[in-house]
Amino acid sequence: MAIEAYTEVTLPADRKVVAELRGVSKSFGDVLAASDLNLSIGEGEFLSFLGPSGCGKTTALRMLAGFEAPSEGQVLLDGDVVNDLDAHNRPVNMVFQQYALFPHMTVTQNIGYGLRQVRPRIPKPQIAERVSRALEVVRLGGFDDRKIWEMSGGQQQRVALARAIINEPKLLLLDEPMAALDRKLRKEMQIELQDLQRQLGITFVLVTHDQEEALSMSDRICIMRDGRIVQIGSPQELYDRPNSRYVADFVGTSNFFDGTLQGSPEGLSTVLLDNGMQVQGMAGDGLVDHQDVCISVRPEQMKLSHQGDGVEVKVHNRIFLGEHTEYLVSHQTLGDFLVLAPRQADLTEGAFAVGDTATVSWEATAALILDRN
Amino acid sequence: MTQRTRNWLLLAPAGTWFLVMLIVPLTVVFIFSFGERAPSGGVVLALTFEQYANLPARWAAFKNTMTLAPIGTLSALIIAYPLAYFLAVKANPRWKTILLVLVIVPFWTSILIRSYAWIFLLGGRGIPALLEWVGIEGLRLINTPFAVLVGIIYGYLPLMVFPIFVSLDKLDKRLLEASSDLGAKPWKTFLQVTLPLSIPGIATGCMLVFILLMGEYLIPALLGGGKVFFVGNALVDLFLQSRNWAYGSAVAVTLVVIMLITVTIYMRLISRLGASREDVSIM
Ligand SMILES: Nc1ncnc2c1ncn2[C@@H]1O[C@H](COP(=O)(O)OP(=O)(O)O)[C@@H](O)[C@H]1O
Ligand SMILES: [Mg+2]
Repeated sequence: MAIEAYTEVTLPADRKVVAELRGVSKSFGDVLAASDLNLSIGEGEFLSFLGPSGCGKTTALRMLAGFEAPSEGQVLLDGDVVNDLDAHNRPVNMVFQQYALFPHMTVTQNIGYGLRQVRPRIPKPQIAERVSRALEVVRLGGFDDRKIWEMSGGQQQRVALARAIINEPKLLLLDEPMAALDRKLRKEMQIELQDLQRQLGITFVLVTHDQEEALSMSDRICIMRDGRIVQIGSPQELYDRPNSRYVADFVGTSNFFDGTLQGSPEGLSTVLLDNGMQVQGMAGDGLVDHQDVCISVRPEQMKLSHQGDGVEVKVHNRIFLGEHTEYLVSHQTLGDFLVLAPRQADLTEGAFAVGDTATVSWEATAALILDRN
Repeated sequence: MTQRTRNWLLLAPAGTWFLVMLIVPLTVVFIFSFGERAPSGGVVLALTFEQYANLPARWAAFKNTMTLAPIGTLSALIIAYPLAYFLAVKANPRWKTILLVLVIVPFWTSILIRSYAWIFLLGGRGIPALLEWVGIEGLRLINTPFAVLVGIIYGYLPLMVFPIFVSLDKLDKRLLEASSDLGAKPWKTFLQVTLPLSIPGIATGCMLVFILLMGEYLIPALLGGGKVFFVGNALVDLFLQSRNWAYGSAVAVTLVVIMLITVTIYMRLISRLGASREDVSIM
């Protein structure tokens, strides 16, 4: 069985492109905050920038909004280069990290702010009607004349959302919108945000460092690292076919074993691990013979048995998670790694106790050979 | 110690101070204002409204104070706001502190010395001489209301800059971005976001400068040269020179009443402008 070589997921040819970054870089003095970003954002898409703090996500978003001018490259909206277009002239709206609501205005005044800037003026009754509709959309009906500081964090976020969508932007930018919410509220908002996006058909660009958030909401995710986009793909693609150890590590959890590639990488290839073991795995793109690589095996792809083929390990720790049991096992030369056993396996094969010896095995197709970086 | 006693102890020093230094003298002045001038100077206690009836004699001092104090406050505001805005919003953060210190540097020397500098600058051999040199002749600056106004603006500018600077400095810059993001042009952002959110600073600055100006006497004495009298100058004159304490007390009480009325009206106006009361730090 051959696995398709990884291809960067581009938009289908018939998808209308609303925004584009072409070779965009941004430096602040000596700091290169964004470097050679290339990306097309399709109409109605939910796209996320995912990466650790400081990797340039906010900078990328701010260049789309018009708060920062790129040092190099072009930002396009609807096919036009907008590098020199000020934020107030771009059909793009943003939900700020701490919401940035106007403290001297009521909820209604905040939400209607964008409409009041439109020239020629929109008649007042029409503004009022659209504001109350926006309030309904974010389920804040009845909060019209509240002061901002009388609203809870979750409510403030809805106000910020309503304020940003009222002008029906081509692009809605969200900078870590859920970072300030507690876990339960965050889950609710994630679902609501997705519903809202489907309902409005607006293109969403979300910035987050929370992989779960990106995985659960996005159509496509850009994984960023040190100012660069390292991989773009759907959540499944990134999870199943990461193009580097960095991506495999950032998206989901994985076990990594270092080694050297033996022979030219074509589909199923052989890796000589640092401990002398030879294992097979699926080679990714761009690898060469004798390259230092690592193989990556997801914990749920590993099978723990009482006997049979595989590497012999000792069970170190066991965490019962309900539908899964997570075992931390340790191998003499491979070190510690995680195995996730489904409840069913525990029931049929019998569970393992701390201190038991067991064997771990996996399908060769479940092992990915990746660049070590 | 109960919470109550502790609160009282906290208030005790300031309370005592207020009682001894403010309430008692004010009461004394109030009582004096109904008295009569003693033949040897000083006061004889009585119950007469004669001193109040005589107030129109000092009309000029009241008129000067009541025009130059508001005009001075407004002028200081108009000059201070752009400066505070520049310092808080536009200036490179690295230079901010240094520039701010430069604004207070003049405070390090006495207002007396600084006013003398202005006497020279506005006097015959100062700016008028320069103007004569370019062909504008016969302009008299010193000992005019204009000279007093210049002195007032100069002396009170830092007092106006500071509260405005503070309110602009703590303004979240992302609010300005949010406004721009929602389509507001820079000028609109200023009018709809920056200005309303700096009202507490403006209110505090104006209040501070206005109240102090109502009692000002040094600047009019030096730069007005006895021609531009403030109520403060009238009081100095009545208490120290002519020793007419009863009449002086009536003038003082009237000034306090005028101040209370204007400040009350002012606070009403400010709270109607939408700044919530707790925002205005000195009120
Ligand atoms: N205005 C700025 N001035 C200087 N450095 C900046 C500025 N904005 C961002 N940076 C730097 O650029 C890098 C990327 O920042 P940012 O885009 O905010 O990252 P993220 O949003 O992924 O956490 C960081 O190293 C940050 O310190
Ligand atoms: Mg950020």
